[in-house]
Amino acid sequence: SEHACAGFYQNKKTFFSFFFILVCDPADVISTVEFNQTGEFLATGDKGGRVVIFQREPQSHRHFIGEYNVYSTFQSHEPEFDYLKSLEIEERINKIRWLPLHNPAHFLLATNDKTIKLWKVSERDKRAEGYNLRDEEGRLKDLSTVTTLQVPVLRPMDLLVEASPRRVFANAHAYHINSISVNSDCETYLSADDLRINLWNLNITDRSFNIVDLKPENMEDLSEVITVAEFHPHHCHLLAFSSSTGTTRLCDMRASALCDQHAKLFEEAADPSHRSFFSEIVSSVSDVKFSHSGRYLLTRDYLTVKVWDLNMENKPVETYQVHDYLRTKLCSLYESDCIFDKFECAWNGTDSVIMTGAYNNYFRMFDRASLRDVTLEASREVCKRRAVLQPRRVCVGKKQKETDVSVDSLDFRKKILHTAWHPKENIIAIAASNNLYIFQDRLTPNGHHNTPEIQSAPPKWQTQPNPPTY
Amino acid sequence: MEYKVEAHRIMSISLGKIYNSRVQRGGIKLHKNLLVSLVLRSARQVYLSDYYSGACLNAQSEREGNEWDITDSEREKFPPSATECDRVESTEEPQPNEQPEKEREYRENDDEVKSDQVDCTSTLQEQNQNSSLDSVAKVSSETPPESITEPKESPSDSAVAERDSTPEANGESHQPPKPYVCSNRKRSAEESESGDSPQKRTKVASSNAKEDEEAEEMDTSNVSNLITIFGSSFSGLLSKESAKPEAEAEDSGQICCDQMLKNLNPWSTAIVAF
Repeated sequence: SEHACAGFYQNKKTFFSFFFILVCDPADVISTVEFNQTGEFLATGDKGGRVVIFQREPQSHRHFIGEYNVYSTFQSHEPEFDYLKSLEIEERINKIRWLPLHNPAHFLLATNDKTIKLWKVSERDKRAEGYNLRDEEGRLKDLSTVTTLQVPVLRPMDLLVEASPRRVFANAHAYHINSISVNSDCETYLSADDLRINLWNLNITDRSFNIVDLKPENMEDLSEVITVAEFHPHHCHLLAFSSSTGTTRLCDMRASALCDQHAKLFEEAADPSHRSFFSEIVSSVSDVKFSHSGRYLLTRDYLTVKVWDLNMENKPVETYQVHDYLRTKLCSLYESDCIFDKFECAWNGTDSVIMTGAYNNYFRMFDRASLRDVTLEASREVCKRRAVLQPRRVCVGKKQKETDVSVDSLDFRKKILHTAWHPKENIIAIAASNNLYIFQDRLTPNGHHNTPEIQSAPPKWQTQPNPPTY
Repeated sequence: MEYKVEAHRIMSISLGKIYNSRVQRGGIKLHKNLLVSLVLRSARQVYLSDYYSGACLNAQSEREGNEWDITDSEREKFPPSATECDRVESTEEPQPNEQPEKEREYRENDDEVKSDQVDCTSTLQEQNQNSSLDSVAKVSSETPPESITEPKESPSDSAVAERDSTPEANGESHQPPKPYVCSNRKRSAEESESGDSPQKRTKVASSNAKEDEEAEEMDTSNVSNLITIFGSSFSGLLSKESAKPEAEAEDSGQICCDQMLKNLNPWSTAIVAF
């Protein structure tokens, strides 16, 4: 098996060999996954309004990779009721974004459909002891009996991770919030709903500025909605937002206060041969991500991922087919509502590889330089601890290999919508329904080629000292 | 005609989605409803475009009587094309087309189809519209497999059909593939039921007018009516034993549905609900 492993690694067909290191099993469907800027922390939000944060253990000699363990769990949002509209507001966490603060504490923004909250996650590992104001039973002493001054001493205690809401940004969105993005100035952030984008100061909760407004005078003239918005990673005046019509706009906040006029419009002419009833749905952009370099934009629509050069608006520089075999099945996917699934996409740290999810618990990776791509599966059956992921293949007609999967046997209930890539290393987090998978590439950045263990040992998460409790 | 059945089905599915979205937890999803309404609109266009080219045109023939003048003049331009059409038609149908009226219809059909081909983007389009014989021949050869299955045609149908659908074609920036065919299947049934259709229309229209004030009620009643209508008409469509009963079931559904469709603005209902 070692032999097979080494061969696999050198196999030119796959450029990544991942092995699985963690799965955790929260009670609810995971709705967002996000690494922080260093990759030390991974936050997940779920449909029940909870946030679970994982921390990476420092690498030790025994485990040549650092593993992620649960660091903190807290309830961020609760279900609410809008009495005016007689609508329930779901507590599902739509997005989490970490703040790039250099502090012993960690800050993140979490949002549901209507309200954004800033959470502070801090550690406490010391406790002050030695007060002489209370007696042994804790009752306040009569101060006249206190005759000496005693300075409390900090003594170590078990690590306690506390999460506290520091800001609540509410009542600014009439429509459902789909994105939040922290500006590179670390002072402001944007929140976007279907029709509007608002700019906030992280310290001011009772005021926000509207910077994009797509709401028409007459709602019957509505032709497009905002699907995702993101700030440029370096230029604090630039933001991008995508729409349901398949266009992505780049806006410059220096140009005017209201950025309805875009600075750039990225749109590819539709292929007339692919025209169908569902062309509009299929072209709706479900995710937008700037590359780490800030030079490129990655957009995801239902069937493809596209890389755009910010300097060229009329067409993408690269287009990758995620699951083109679904093009003939759009009608049944429409009936089952699967056609409305919003897949996310991700860059790796060096912007050389793109990742996105698909159905049947498959996710896809595309290497931009070599144009090689791979399909991998995230499921309990195949993910034994430290097992190397085997590539998958979906075939339209006859199976050429036994491991091929026919299009008709794909399970469309198993969808990977949320994926995240560590900002620096080849570690990926995949959310498959209520399971979180973390995979790491065998080739670690510092060049160690340790022989991985193929034997399936009991998954570590079962033997953790503090098993996840939800 | 499968595309029409498909359009029908997609419309009913879309309306169901819009209806269900109102009872979903978390309120109406604007994005999803917008996309569904776009699909509904596309399907509706496809459905109605063929409707005008097929059924229900006897009732409209008086209104559109002046169109005969135009088609007469066009007819004179293309006398030889009649033989082409007849030849093609005769390969499809056992009885040769002997009536001169039928000849005129085919020519007009071709003319109308040609003029529409200039305007709208259809998968059956060819580039050169000017060469009369060639283009007409091409049109004739393209349309038979889909549509010319019945020998009988009513004269007014074809003329009005293409005219009515042209403005729709022009008005839209993008079109679903609309095969412009001489769909004659329903005409025979329509002729036999022309007496019934106005009554049906009136009945449905009045019920619509009543419910117009309450947008919410119009929603649910239209949707439920449409769904029951689609249900009954589909059972007729699926059994292809005889053309006539199939066409009848289809027509009754079509007439009622179409009145609904004319009055139903899918997006407005979704917006009002939101």
